[in-house]
Amino acid sequence: MLAPPRPRLSWSRLLEVSLSVVAGGLLWGQQQPIEFPHDKHVAAGVDCIDCHSGADIRSAATIPSINKCMLCHGRVANEGPGVKLLLEYWNQKREVPWQRVYGFERAANVRFRHAPHIRAKIECSACHGNVAAMTVAQKAVVHTMGTCVRCHRQTQASDDCAVCHF
Amino acid sequence: MSDQLVPVSEIQSADDNVPRWGMAIDLDRCTGCEACVVACHVENNIPIATEDDAAMGRSSHWIRIDRYYEGTFPDIKVKYRPVLCQQCDDAPCEPVCPVYATYQNAEGLNVQVYNRCVGTRYCANNCPYQVRVFNWFDPEWPEPLDLQLNPDVSIRPGGVMEKCTFCVQRIQRGKLDAQAEGRKVEDGDIQPACVQGCPAEAMAFGDLTDPESKVSQWAGVGRSTQLLGELGTKPKVFYLEKSD
Repeated sequence: MLAPPRPRLSWSRLLEVSLSVVAGGLLWGQQQPIEFPHDKHVAAGVDCIDCHSGADIRSAATIPSINKCMLCHGRVANEGPGVKLLLEYWNQKREVPWQRVYGFERAANVRFRHAPHIRAKIECSACHGNVAAMTVAQKAVVHTMGTCVRCHRQTQASDDCAVCHF
Repeated sequence: MSDQLVPVSEIQSADDNVPRWGMAIDLDRCTGCEACVVACHVENNIPIATEDDAAMGRSSHWIRIDRYYEGTFPDIKVKYRPVLCQQCDDAPCEPVCPVYATYQNAEGLNVQVYNRCVGTRYCANNCPYQVRVFNWFDPEWPEPLDLQLNPDVSIRPGGVMEKCTFCVQRIQRGKLDAQAEGRKVEDGDIQPACVQGCPAEAMAFGDLTDPESKVSQWAGVGRSTQLLGELGTKPKVFYLEKSD
């Protein structure tokens, strides 16, 4: 006889779930270490992939490291209150602990790749909303499987399960 | 060969531009070293069963080495056979799934959709090769082993069936890389982890509909057979039997 499976619901598991719900709420409420103004950067002519530089070549778009911020802010626009905070992190040789806004939950078993979407000329705003008009990035578009499949069908991209779920 | 075995030359895709992935394994070259097993575990984030779990038949390998002994000591011969999902064209695992979590895609892969699976385990019970493994528990990797997890492959939760995917993540990446470079996928571009890891180069992977591909060449030789092919499962893994 096989031993019965260990119980899968426990207090630690419940705590984990409730914590993740709270963390999810914080993501929606955009608690960022610095109130990063996307609108100002876009208005200054900075393109999305100038900072999120993995988007066109890699799976992850990536959140830029402080080195990338300082490439510009080491020279220009180093006055404002946000930049002062950035410089504090820089002087302490610390990364800014940016919080991720988008991402598939683990249970979705989705392996998303940015690069093929950029190559297919899908605008960033199609999935991320009009970030150019936002200050701190907000989760403007809710990503469900319907969001993905609708677009895949419209653009005649594959809707085979094994394209995303593996 | 019995009537039910499908020679590689008769394997076709619905569309000329769609490949049909298959594998050929030369048992003459296989030394049973299990490098493929290790490579598979590393690539696909497969949890490592404890001794107790293994004793209860809960070890999870997507590929294993079957050993066959012939003769009596001291005149004994050992044969090794790496057994992975045979990606059958007529797969016994598929029709028994009540939630359509396993199906055959256009490229001939038996796809397992983890988030659809409800864990009935009908598929594993109906698989004549016993290559499907069930996650009895949420997998755990003690630190720092969690740092070696492959980000290209999801981590399957407890209660879900899993199996060899022919490293579908590498297939997708190979196709995307070729697309980015504006060319077609060439033979040898895509290698599953087991094929790449084999030190004896005993495994070949590729498109079975391309007669020039290495896998088609291998699968077309006289000593090519299919495991339990007489069941009519139409496997897409070809074994080149040991020549004595």
